[in-house]
Amino acid sequence: MSAVVLVREGCYQDSARLMQVGREIAALPGVVEAVAMMGTGANRRLLYDAGFAGAALDRATPMDMVVALRAEDDAALGRAREALDRALAGTGPAGVEATSERRPATVAEAIAADPATNLVSVAVPGPYAAFVAHRALDAGRSVFLFSDNVPLEDEVALKRRARDLGLLVMGPDCGTAILSGTGLGFANRVDRGPVGIVGASGTGIQELCCILDREGVGVSHAIGVGSRDLSEVVGGAMSESGLALLAADPATRCVALVAKHPAAAVAERLHGLLARLGKPAVVRYLGEPARPSADGVLYAGSLDEAAELLSASVRGGGMARSDDRATVRMKVGRPSRDTEQRLVGLFGGGSLAAEARCVLAARGVETTSPGERLGPGAPLPPGHLVVDTGDDAYTVGRPHPMVDQTGRCDLILSAGSDPTVTVLLLDLVLGDGAHPDPAPELVRAVEDARAARDGRALAVVVSVCGSRRDPQGTGRQERLFQDAGFLVEPTAARAADAAAALLLGIRKEVVR
Amino acid sequence: MTAGTVRSLLDGPLRLVHLGLPAVAQAAAAAGARVTHVDFLPPAGGDPRRLSDLSELLSGPSARAVDAANARALARLLASRPHLVAVAVARDVIPGMADDLFLHAGPPVTWERMCGPLRGAVVGGLLYEGRASTAEEAARLAAAGAVRFDPCHHHDAVGPMAGLVTPSMPVFVLEDRAGERAGTRTYCTLNEGLGKVLRYGAFSDEVLARLAFMRDTLGPVLAAALERHGPVDLKHLMAQALQMGDEGHNRNRAATSLLFRELAPSIVRATEDREKAARVLEFVNGNDHFFLNLSMPMGKCMLKAAEGEPLSSLVTVMARNGADFGIQLASMPGRWFTGPAQQVRGLYFPGFTEADANPDIGDSAITETAGIGGFAMAAAPAIVQFVGGTAADALATTRAMGRITAGTNPGFAIPALGFSGTPTGIDLRLVEETNLLPAINTGIAHREPGVGQVGAGLVNPPREAFHAALAALAEHVRTAAADPAEPARAPARTDP
Repeated sequence: MSAVVLVREGCYQDSARLMQVGREIAALPGVVEAVAMMGTGANRRLLYDAGFAGAALDRATPMDMVVALRAEDDAALGRAREALDRALAGTGPAGVEATSERRPATVAEAIAADPATNLVSVAVPGPYAAFVAHRALDAGRSVFLFSDNVPLEDEVALKRRARDLGLLVMGPDCGTAILSGTGLGFANRVDRGPVGIVGASGTGIQELCCILDREGVGVSHAIGVGSRDLSEVVGGAMSESGLALLAADPATRCVALVAKHPAAAVAERLHGLLARLGKPAVVRYLGEPARPSADGVLYAGSLDEAAELLSASVRGGGMARSDDRATVRMKVGRPSRDTEQRLVGLFGGGSLAAEARCVLAARGVETTSPGERLGPGAPLPPGHLVVDTGDDAYTVGRPHPMVDQTGRCDLILSAGSDPTVTVLLLDLVLGDGAHPDPAPELVRAVEDARAARDGRALAVVVSVCGSRRDPQGTGRQERLFQDAGFLVEPTAARAADAAAALLLGIRKEVVR
Repeated sequence: MTAGTVRSLLDGPLRLVHLGLPAVAQAAAAAGARVTHVDFLPPAGGDPRRLSDLSELLSGPSARAVDAANARALARLLASRPHLVAVAVARDVIPGMADDLFLHAGPPVTWERMCGPLRGAVVGGLLYEGRASTAEEAARLAAAGAVRFDPCHHHDAVGPMAGLVTPSMPVFVLEDRAGERAGTRTYCTLNEGLGKVLRYGAFSDEVLARLAFMRDTLGPVLAAALERHGPVDLKHLMAQALQMGDEGHNRNRAATSLLFRELAPSIVRATEDREKAARVLEFVNGNDHFFLNLSMPMGKCMLKAAEGEPLSSLVTVMARNGADFGIQLASMPGRWFTGPAQQVRGLYFPGFTEADANPDIGDSAITETAGIGGFAMAAAPAIVQFVGGTAADALATTRAMGRITAGTNPGFAIPALGFSGTPTGIDLRLVEETNLLPAINTGIAHREPGVGQVGAGLVNPPREAFHAALAALAEHVRTAAADPAEPARAPARTDP
């Protein structure tokens, strides 16, 4: 067995391509493991820690592609080299030669090529994202900043500058936006309509859009602001800008704010802004019970309820909520003390996991999220679990579970095979950017798990976040689940509700 | 509604520029939005420190001041009007020239670190000046410090290849006749021709005999002819040559011909001895590169007009001594930022290979710095074979240089590019942002002294020089911002 580092100089690749190349090489016979990354300082430290070494690795720069692999013999190593060469065929040394025509290589060049550009969308690795976003602001253009791992101080500086310039910086870590009917990042194909959304949670925005879509209510704009916008340091800078834009937007008749864990001072300031907005406003702070509504600003207890309130408003019925309305459709059950009857939730959407936790707690089902990364095949920690498989702990060196479900399917197999687990709670987010046909993989993983249970039943509840026009075919994905005996719900909150009912024995159908 | 405003996002339609993972723009494309994809490369080679310096210079509070400084520097560069005003003896006209001083190409270098061709030229220079009678004696004297060495650039001069200027050599004297910096003078020796020549490190009798002819006949005849003719507008001449297939560095045939035509009557009239006049005309006619030693000081003269702009990121010098490649910025004239001289990629004369080649050498990259040479490659499809390319590659090279320059020179129009001007004013920031290095056309010297030219081709500067300049400029701009009352100081002539 030999640990080898192959370096290809001046060969920058994006993370999706790196993962693809790494996987291709890892799949070769005699190759035990392989990972492809750019030679940044952080990546090289990871490799040193993993036991890789050598002068080539020492010299590698962020412009050089590094493939670290363990091969059983020289033949396997040779195959790995060939596979790398094949994968890179046609990729010349980057940025050195000046002899051929090429696409724009910088923001400024691209804007020169299309001066009517009104938005710069950034999905480059985190360490480069702020630089690029600043260049967009230099050119007087707003930014959709999908990249994560952007330092907090860079976010603060970007948003301060954007505000001074009267521009938007949507992000960093902004998964979703819909502007004038055009989706960005992960987005569902929903009709244009009267509801304007400002959201610090990508899947929160998606779920709200899709619930509204089912009710036939369209969205004017969904302005993503990035997961940290409502933190104390960032101070809700872009939430404020986004709300002000929606207030002035003639296509927007009512406004929703969706976020997770706002800082108290920020929530207070935004409340004031919403109260003076001049348009009906609904707030959903994900993962927590409804706050008391005041000054005409309505705080919903779930995204479902937020959607209901918004629908009522646009249909001219006016909005009202009473705290007893909430989402209570089920009796609260007696908390199960039976350790042989467990619920495990495996989520792709972090905000949806938070919504599920919140509903489960309201039903008396207390869940924990494992402190350490769950490994496939490893024993589960005790108790009911809700896991966000899109968390950083699960996505280092691999794509988000909304794009690549391999990791989540492995966990479904290992949790589902555990005989103490009787209810499995899943979500599925459809739309552009997401996996092109996700249901079959999830069904296969559940069926493999069921096969390992010696006939003991495993109930599966899944929420499907998809619009009527999403490219995967929402109806088809739902039918595939139903055919496999899953209980299909339109939202994570309702799926959690149903899962709690099944766990507590209030509801007994669809158990196979 | 202008493109940039936020309202345009809500009024639609969206027009996107996208960088990074393509899947992120899939939704927008599916909705019918126009998406311009960028071939993203990590700026500044992805180095965190450089990235932060570069971001500060491009997007920070001082960035617009840097832009403005560059605009002023470029405007002065474009307004300058270098004229050939005289031919004189180096010791009489070059500032700071002395009997014990030899000037050389590139950044400062000691005898110990000098490459073969530069040592050869120094030996030749000592023989030519009568300071030694054998090559061995000359080498001993040089090693013992019998003469001092200093870069041409420290004396407003430039020299091709070894760039050796000794006190008794005849030199062209150029003067800026327009703009704010009118009166600025720059200097260059007279071109010896091809083959075994001093600038490539050759010092045989044939070389020395030619240098003697240039001192005794060519120099005085041209001096007299110029006096009779009056100043020659070199920019005007260069502009015509660019439309006749020259790029002003590796091809100077058209400009040489134009100069010959311009000066021939004055040469004849100013010279009593017809044979002497004929020999001078033959010499100029027989040397296609005669004008190189004018296009270079012309470039230097234009670039001197750009110097002294405290916040500017424009490059005003690129020069090599065969060991180091050095650049200077308009904001810090005299301060060198260096990296190792690179190997030239090109075609070799029969019998020579890459193994014979000396690393990149000479001040002639001043032409590219001024927006001609490699930057005007589109004007000279005939020489693109030196870099093994096609005429289309020539156009692409000039266009690519447009990506790292602050503007174009409308005075140097290129027919094949719709008469657009040559890309001019290398912006250090754009070099780092694009990772694209200046393209330099150049000759290749044999690595041993005394052999001469072995080929020609294309070379890039080392990235290290730009990295060092970036760090220094960022520091310089920070200092200026911290103390706006005191203009940023430009430390002079320190070799980092």
